[in-house]
Amino acid sequence: MSDLDRAIEQLRACRPIPENQVRELCYKARELLIEEGNVVAVDAPVTICGDIHGQFHDLMELFRVGGDVPDTNYLFMGDFVDRGFYSLESFLLLLCLKVRYPDRITLIRGNHESRQITTVYGFYDECQRKYGSANVWRYCCEVFDFLALGALITGASTDMQPSDANIADINSQSQWPSEPSDIEIEILNQHNQITHRYPRHRPAPISQDLSQLSNTPSSPSQAPDQAPVRNGAPGTGASGHSRGSNNNKDGAVFCVHGGLSPLIDTIDKIRLLDRKQEVPHEGAMCDLLWSDPDEIDGWGLSPRGAGFLFGADIVKCFNYKNDLSLVCRAHQLVMEGFKEMFDSTIVTVWSAPNYCYRCGNVAAILELGEDGSNAGYMPRSNGDPNRSQGIVAPLGEREQALMKMGPGRRYRVFEAAPQDPRGMPAKKPVADYFL
Amino acid sequence: MMAVATNGAANERKRVKVYELRNNDWYDRGTGFCSGAVHSPANAPPENLDARIIVISEEDAVKSLLETRITKDDGYQKQQDTLIVWTEQNGVDMALSFQESEGCANIWEFVSDIQGRLSALAPGDDLDDDLLDPIHPITLPDPELGKLDEIEGAMRAASTSGPGREGLQKFLTSPEQPYVLKLIPLVERAEQQQSLPDLHRLCNIMKSLILLNDSAIIETIVSDNAIMGVVGALEYDPDFPTHKANHRRFLAKASRFKEVIRIEDDDIRRKIQYTYRLLYLKDVVLARILDDPTFSVLNSLIFFHQVDIINFIQQNVAFLQELFGLFSDEDPDPSRRKEAVLFIANTGAVAKTIQAQSRNQLYQTYIRHGLFDVIAYALRNHDVAVRVAATEILTSLMDHDAQVLRQHNFTALKEKNAPLLDTLVDLLLVEVDLGVKSHMADAIKLLVDPQNANISLEMMNRNVSADFMAKQRGLVNQNAISKEMDDFIQYFYDACAPRLFKPLRDLEDRSTMGDLSVQQLSLFVHLLDMLSFFVRQHAYKSKLFILSENIHSRVGQLLQCPQGFIRLCALKCIRTCIALKDEFHNRQLESHGIMGRVLNLVFETMPRDNLINSVCIDIFEHIKRENIRQLIYHLVQNYRERLMSITYVNTFQTIVLRYDQMQAGYVPPNGNEESFTTQEGTPQRLGNGGRFDGLRDQDAEEEAYFNGEDDIDVDDEDVGLPTQASAGLTNGAAPVRPLVNYPADEDEDEEDSMDMLASSPDPLQKSGSIHSDNIANAASAEAEAASSESTVNGDEEPRRGRDRTPVAKDGSPGMRDPSTPDSVLSKRRREEDDEDELSKVMGGAGAKRRNSSVSSSVAIHSANDQPLPQQQELVDEPAEAGGGGGGGSPHTPNGQSQQQQLPHGQSLRRKGSLKTRNDGNSATKFNIKPIPVTAVKASGDENEENRGDGGGGENG
Repeated sequence: MSDLDRAIEQLRACRPIPENQVRELCYKARELLIEEGNVVAVDAPVTICGDIHGQFHDLMELFRVGGDVPDTNYLFMGDFVDRGFYSLESFLLLLCLKVRYPDRITLIRGNHESRQITTVYGFYDECQRKYGSANVWRYCCEVFDFLALGALITGASTDMQPSDANIADINSQSQWPSEPSDIEIEILNQHNQITHRYPRHRPAPISQDLSQLSNTPSSPSQAPDQAPVRNGAPGTGASGHSRGSNNNKDGAVFCVHGGLSPLIDTIDKIRLLDRKQEVPHEGAMCDLLWSDPDEIDGWGLSPRGAGFLFGADIVKCFNYKNDLSLVCRAHQLVMEGFKEMFDSTIVTVWSAPNYCYRCGNVAAILELGEDGSNAGYMPRSNGDPNRSQGIVAPLGEREQALMKMGPGRRYRVFEAAPQDPRGMPAKKPVADYFL
Repeated sequence: MMAVATNGAANERKRVKVYELRNNDWYDRGTGFCSGAVHSPANAPPENLDARIIVISEEDAVKSLLETRITKDDGYQKQQDTLIVWTEQNGVDMALSFQESEGCANIWEFVSDIQGRLSALAPGDDLDDDLLDPIHPITLPDPELGKLDEIEGAMRAASTSGPGREGLQKFLTSPEQPYVLKLIPLVERAEQQQSLPDLHRLCNIMKSLILLNDSAIIETIVSDNAIMGVVGALEYDPDFPTHKANHRRFLAKASRFKEVIRIEDDDIRRKIQYTYRLLYLKDVVLARILDDPTFSVLNSLIFFHQVDIINFIQQNVAFLQELFGLFSDEDPDPSRRKEAVLFIANTGAVAKTIQAQSRNQLYQTYIRHGLFDVIAYALRNHDVAVRVAATEILTSLMDHDAQVLRQHNFTALKEKNAPLLDTLVDLLLVEVDLGVKSHMADAIKLLVDPQNANISLEMMNRNVSADFMAKQRGLVNQNAISKEMDDFIQYFYDACAPRLFKPLRDLEDRSTMGDLSVQQLSLFVHLLDMLSFFVRQHAYKSKLFILSENIHSRVGQLLQCPQGFIRLCALKCIRTCIALKDEFHNRQLESHGIMGRVLNLVFETMPRDNLINSVCIDIFEHIKRENIRQLIYHLVQNYRERLMSITYVNTFQTIVLRYDQMQAGYVPPNGNEESFTTQEGTPQRLGNGGRFDGLRDQDAEEEAYFNGEDDIDVDDEDVGLPTQASAGLTNGAAPVRPLVNYPADEDEDEEDSMDMLASSPDPLQKSGSIHSDNIANAASAEAEAASSESTVNGDEEPRRGRDRTPVAKDGSPGMRDPSTPDSVLSKRRREEDDEDELSKVMGGAGAKRRNSSVSSSVAIHSANDQPLPQQQELVDEPAEAGGGGGGGSPHTPNGQSQQQQLPHGQSLRRKGSLKTRNDGNSATKFNIKPIPVTAVKASGDENEENRGDGGGGENG
């Protein structure tokens, strides 16, 4: 068993590894992360996770629900640290896994992966408490500077992969589509039981689609006049609308912690950022990590004091321009674990159940299946100039080109881990004290 | 109802005068005969006992002067044998003045008797009735194991109403032995009997006690008599029925109060221990259940204790002399010295949380007693723990007031002593602990930072807003730096810098970069970082030094390091030099072939999309965007073919194009250009849809056209991204963004101002952070209100979060019905921080490393994202974005309201430039944002390039 495997074992038991091992680990991680682009190319199948926030036991629950590394290919969208009581163990475990299985886990940066934020929200204190000095915090912060800013998932299937899951409530099954290809969204609980299924809607009239592109509110609750046949589960936009024809299967999924930036109209522009720095307070890099989608038109000021709010039009335009079917982001607590917005052009995934040990929310992860029709291989799109050629359709099919068909999305919703007696969340103070 | 005489004596008519207090005067309501009567049936349950005092007018036997029902507690007083005084339920003070003392005694006896019967009732039975009556006191049954159920229920019931809580507090803190102490023995007894249900009940009772957030109760709880019992009970949390915590073991065994020098004052010793216990309660025992009010009660108790402790230390000369005397002893005891250093570091950490004034006094006192000698001693200590403590002291001192430290160095210099700077430089080179090392590097930078100088502590004491501070700093920067500072910097370059950068210089003799040790590598990281800093901060002096030591060449060497992170640091250094647009640096970069090496790196990394590649392109982008002619000439003249061969971004070809234009005598009116892909908005290009196609298609003519015509301004920093948003920026900002953006004619000035607005959300919100519970509470109340709006299903029975069913129904914990019993035990939302906000960090993280510092005020995780009006004025930055309720739920109208905050819709939009209006002048670590808009504007484009560093501290 290598040192790394031993470290993983130890961290899985929620025991921190010695400082010199942390240094080694961070050193290796840095050299690894240097080789990653600002936007990492990831092939489906992949499981996308949102904020973790140092909730180690819930991270373990996440792995239980979603499968272990390296069996499952993971993408974590940042905010590994702060708030929870086990930021250190959580981040180091993820980092160990990254170093051990670089191709099976992708870590991108969240706004909490920052020196300034961690000094205020707990990670600094935690390192200080657990090691008696801030060295480990420093090592980790250096790694933060190397984390990628986003990821681009290609090769995700528009069809729902069949799963072996049982149906949670047999009565509701009758309404569900039977063919896997008809399912757009499937929601499972933590016992691997299917709780909801939503069919994919076939193309809708052109006029409707175009109107959506302007300023129709996308959430069903805001547009009662549209009277959707079926309301989506909380969080889904599944009530909704078609994403055009199904002849384009290569709409990629862009993953980022916060959201879009007015300075970034194409993903390639992210590639030009010098990301190796503390998260700035302004500018594209800041926006990617801090922005939030909101029911507005265009861009708005963010009440967070950093980043922007952006509306449906921004997302749809960005997706169109970058040949995306979906933007996937984290950064905001959603009580249902995930929330699709703007006709399912953007989704928030949140993976910290019972956030801060008291918010009472459930968490979710998003599984995207592999597009079997393409033999599981998609050329890397990042930097490939021709990936999306041909999406320009004749005028009559314009709306089809405007909105790519979303990938089949399987959300696994889970609750907070049952508390491990030994791991009752607590911040032990230093034992010796003068004052 | 029949009047039934129950007391003969009282029933006899007594002559009496009835008085009522009106406007502070006793008003005579008349004279009559007084009697006591019980109106309730004799067999009625005791709680229905209805006994009255009746006074019938002596003049008119049917006229009643007074009829008042006797209650348990109306504050009946008997005065001077003939007076009975009380307060009516409507708040009116009444008095009966008897003619004879005998009559008075009779009535008094009657009143006492009735009151006795009323209060003998079991409190559990009529608690609910009593609660309706705010005046009724609350009594709990005497603590016995058998009655725990009753006590728990009574407390829970009482806790739900304000008056009930008051009554409970009153009862629990009554001067006879505090109730808490009576509960303590039960814990042990229940443990002996192994009665888990009882222990769970005790735990709940303790929680209820604490959540009354009464400071007197909490003080009692942490006292020596109570603490073990209380945390003992709290070990048996019914939420974790299978689990028992070990708080007692930790407090009794693991934790250790250490005294370097004995503190003679018992009160202070007690306060230290209480503080520790309070912190333990707050961070460990109660971490999950604390609500806002209790959290702040705990915090303020801790705060006041800490103020007292620090004041004690700072005023106790004997103590200080003994403490610092340890370092001058003839026969030093290294272990005691170590403890003393750790102690000082500990006081420094605690002092961070108290007011600047007291903190200042502490440091002044320490310095008088020889703090700097201690630091110098500790930094050289062989024990790494001592060195770490030393750097902690140093850091907290610098966070507090770097000028003190600088002044000390100036003085040492004048007196021809080696300043601390020397020590730091020497030690940095040999330090093996990487953490200590980086502390030292930070300290060196701060010491010789002319930007940071001249800010006196006076400013801080005046409680000025961060805004004002920033402005001052800006002004100060424009003035010449002080002579002292100048001399000091000169000293640094004469005496220290050559030593500091010697390892870099020694690289000259190295043929390979492949065998550098970890220690060397980490040293180079710091040296390169410091070099970038000096290049910016000491433009002139650093140039001479760099020239004489031939530093650029060494940096170029480091580009060949196999370790990527070293190469990145070297690139950053080069980027900094280029950003200065300084002929000297450019010439150096040319003559040492540095640009060629950077270009090599592009080629090396080109097929891959990685960090080094991005950084390199960033450098060339910058040269192109800023039109740095010297470098363009150099590049194209030497590497034309290579530049042309890079096609996957247009940066390099554009540079060549620029060169050709210049050769042809064509000079763009100003250096700026819209960079990179830029004006992407033509339909044809959109049609391509490809990411890179847009870049490639950029044909030369069009480029040139834009170069010539477009003089929007020099905004396009960094990636210089274009335009996506700018199309929407035209006046009146069309609400819907067109899919196709045409390059728009924009009024330059206006756009500039919009940009400004966008990048500094609201000047009003930038005042220093103010701690105000009221505001925070108001905010959280509002948040709760809003979150309940979005409730899909009014969840009647509050449940703990973990018990929830998978599909969440209610919005947030804050919306639980406050009137249901559990709500006291369950968590009320802490206004503190469920979501993050940049402003909180910028508000003063330096002083708030301790997470446990007194609560910050911003309401977060609020379902309504929009800040309250008060908040806008008082809190640094707007309240938290929608983490809450529906999680930034689109159902809340925040978007609209945001817009309303600004006069024009258009100001919401930001121009598509990436210009960073970072505060170029603010030099403090975390104080980045609060620069006034005007100052930003004034600082102009010299600051642009500094954006890359993120921290204002490194900006020039």
